[in-house]
Amino acid sequence: MNHLLKRLFFYAGAAWTALTLNFFLPRLMPGDPATALFARFAGRLTPEGLQALREAFGLTDAPLWKQYFTYLAHVLRGDLGVSIAYFPAPVTQVIGTGLAWTLFLAGTGVVLSFIIGSLLGVVAAWWRRGWVDQWLPSFFAFLGAFPYFWLAMVALWIFGFTLGWFPLGHAYADDMAPGFTFAFVADVFRHAALPLLTVVLATLGGWLLTMRNAMVAVLGSDFVNLARAKGLPPRTVMLRYAARNALLPSITGFGMALGYVLGGSLLTEVVFSYPGQGYLLVQAVRNQDYPLMQGIFVFITLAVLAANWLVDVLTWWLDARTRESAS
Amino acid sequence: MTRPAQGRRILRGAAALPALAWLALSSLGLTLAGCSPKRTPLPPDVLIVSQEQQASWVRNFNPLTPATAARWPTLAGVYEPLFVYNSVQAKQVPWLGTSFEWREGARVLHVTTRSGVKWSDGQPFSARDVAFTFNLIQRFRALDKRGTWAFLESVRALDDHTVEFRFQRVYVPGFDELVAVQIVPEHVWSKVEDPVRFPNEHPVATGPFTEVKVFRNQVYELGRNPYYWQEGVPKVSALRFPAYPSNDRANLALVYDEVDWAGNFLPAIDRVYVGRAPGKHAYWFPLTAGSIFLYANTTRAPFSDVRVRKALSMAIDRPLLVDVALHRYSRPADATGLSDAYAALRDSTAMAAGDWVRHDLAAAKAQLDAAGYTVGADGFRHLPDGKPWKYEVLVVSGWSDWVRAAQVIVRGLREAGVDASVRTYDFSAWFQRVQEGDFDLSLGWSFEGPAPYHAYRYLMSSTTMKPVGTASLGNWHRYSSKTADQLLAEFERATEPAVQRALGDSLQRLFVAEAPAIPLYPNPSWAEYHAGRFTGFPSKEDPYADPSPNKFDRGEPLLVLTRLAPRKEAP
Repeated sequence: MNHLLKRLFFYAGAAWTALTLNFFLPRLMPGDPATALFARFAGRLTPEGLQALREAFGLTDAPLWKQYFTYLAHVLRGDLGVSIAYFPAPVTQVIGTGLAWTLFLAGTGVVLSFIIGSLLGVVAAWWRRGWVDQWLPSFFAFLGAFPYFWLAMVALWIFGFTLGWFPLGHAYADDMAPGFTFAFVADVFRHAALPLLTVVLATLGGWLLTMRNAMVAVLGSDFVNLARAKGLPPRTVMLRYAARNALLPSITGFGMALGYVLGGSLLTEVVFSYPGQGYLLVQAVRNQDYPLMQGIFVFITLAVLAANWLVDVLTWWLDARTRESAS
Repeated sequence: MTRPAQGRRILRGAAALPALAWLALSSLGLTLAGCSPKRTPLPPDVLIVSQEQQASWVRNFNPLTPATAARWPTLAGVYEPLFVYNSVQAKQVPWLGTSFEWREGARVLHVTTRSGVKWSDGQPFSARDVAFTFNLIQRFRALDKRGTWAFLESVRALDDHTVEFRFQRVYVPGFDELVAVQIVPEHVWSKVEDPVRFPNEHPVATGPFTEVKVFRNQVYELGRNPYYWQEGVPKVSALRFPAYPSNDRANLALVYDEVDWAGNFLPAIDRVYVGRAPGKHAYWFPLTAGSIFLYANTTRAPFSDVRVRKALSMAIDRPLLVDVALHRYSRPADATGLSDAYAALRDSTAMAAGDWVRHDLAAAKAQLDAAGYTVGADGFRHLPDGKPWKYEVLVVSGWSDWVRAAQVIVRGLREAGVDASVRTYDFSAWFQRVQEGDFDLSLGWSFEGPAPYHAYRYLMSSTTMKPVGTASLGNWHRYSSKTADQLLAEFERATEPAVQRALGDSLQRLFVAEAPAIPLYPNPSWAEYHAGRFTGFPSKEDPYADPSPNKFDRGEPLLVLTRLAPRKEAP
């Protein structure tokens, strides 16, 4: 337990560092939010409008260190401020509009990709030089090598636009009222299918290769040979002995990936106009919307740290060696 | 040994269950997707509009709050101004105001408001709402988007139909700003504590569409105002706004008939859009969205020399530039620098004198030689102190039309003996440089308003000129002239259209003679629409207004929204 507590302190330190960077980095950019908003209107906004914008956003001239402490105090209270791009909506409300959809789409994508990829990795390593081992890793590595943006666009073009099998975007049909009805849930999956497919196809290769390689290494170790020699059923050896140990490096990666889910699979959301978090972040950066940027980064940071802590706990539980070394 | 074994089993079970559930659900989704390829037909009388590009909507219908915060129809659909400016016909259309009159030597403006107008909650609209709106803006300066209180002294309602605007000084062009302000109801807004941050989720307004029927993060829908003051209008029963995060995505929706009206840039539109449904998909891009200029910093040599500015202009191959940068959606600018929003006000004398926008490399070279800037041994021209002409043309990175335009410009300038190159900056960095005058040459937009006064004030007035190093909102090239100041001052006092016209002509002639900035091309006003589903969109054949939803600044989409009607049968 001591070990886990120590890790907890480490994460508190990491969170503070991230929050501090989060405050200073955006402020190193040239210009201010009012100017950036002006950019979107290239000439369609009167110069007088710019003055009014500055006034409305209350862009303060207080010294930076003062702003920093106000910011820290506000974050601790859960007050993330008012968004500038979506003025005057509070940041928490803006983030709230996309959070659930992002968690659903990106979360499902990561989980599906991890499970399918790892299972295929196990299969590939167990039946080495079988067709799974020979074809799938190179096939998925090939798919993963394409820029995701391009892959998603092509998928959208072929399956959505040309063949009309899938809707072109959004999380559900515009004339569908959200609710826990079968029609709505089916519609949500219909809309999520193509984005999910592209995400899973593009990221599967990584999990597959990691799992396969770890598995191959583990399969050569003594305890697996012992298990085989004891005459245990092959399935038990494969899953309980080899796969469980080979999973450790993948689990770490999985934790990271889960943490990044909150960042939104940015490109997926942009291509499929999915109403999630990732595009908000782009919008925030483009508009120099400091409060929104900071709010989203706070969420991402906390999610990554929390996921890592979970991985720590999981590893501690899965792997006896970490417990040994701690005590 | 038994405990961990149990743990293992639980772990396996726990991991397998959700995994299986997800797999099952997702494959269900995939099958469902596979077996329903047909699309639900669009409702015949709901107009689907795409103007803003956002991933998800935030509910805000506050017409006074700074730009971009409120949803698009708020400024021209939900709320209405006193007069709507028609930029294609260059005239102010009476809207909530019916007429106006200058008094006391143009120190006072009386506007008569329309009678019989009701707010969407059934209460009557009156001149008192107008006075209230302006006094609200005065109390909360962050709402003063148009800078009206820079010249206003007081606003009050004389009776239910007359508003009196008292000016600090005679400033006739201020009319254009006053009448473009959206009017809000006193009986609702007088109870609002902080109108700057008021999201106004349930708008009470005078416009044709006021009822928020649906508001979700990816789509919202506005229904008719039951009390709308125009008889039998609107004919469209509702407006629907799907959220598209990017231009590409919005274009896809447009081509795929998911959108009826949009204001996007679309390359190869005849093939991509019109070609997919000829006779139904249509577009019209009038050149009314301001002009793009090459600004030369006139505080620096050699750009302080008018001969140099004109010669550089002649070195630019504008027809090629328009081809390369704008897919021929525009045409080369004329020397007045005005877009087609001023087509009716263009002065033929000025046009005839403006030969320095024609591509003539030989003349450009000859003029530079004659001015004493000869070509040195290195192939480039030099300043009298021997410094070579080595300049960067600033553009915003990612604005591909500008970048391509700059490449064409640089090619022309190099042929004329200038060691020119393109330099891209991120928007904020670029904007800071041009505002502070820290550049030699840069592309830039211009400001336009109903009268040429608005355009030329930011091109050659000393009132808009700031010293280098101080951020300036306009007049980035930092040019001023006594004659221009005098003409603009006279314009501020001119209430007669004929006098305004004459002053506008003189300003154009002055601009052509002085070339304070180098005009490149007028910007198209983007508008694509589905004429198969709705009738009444402005077009080349029926140019009654600007067709673009982007022209909301002075209420112009109101002209379109009140004219559109669902098409009964297929054309």
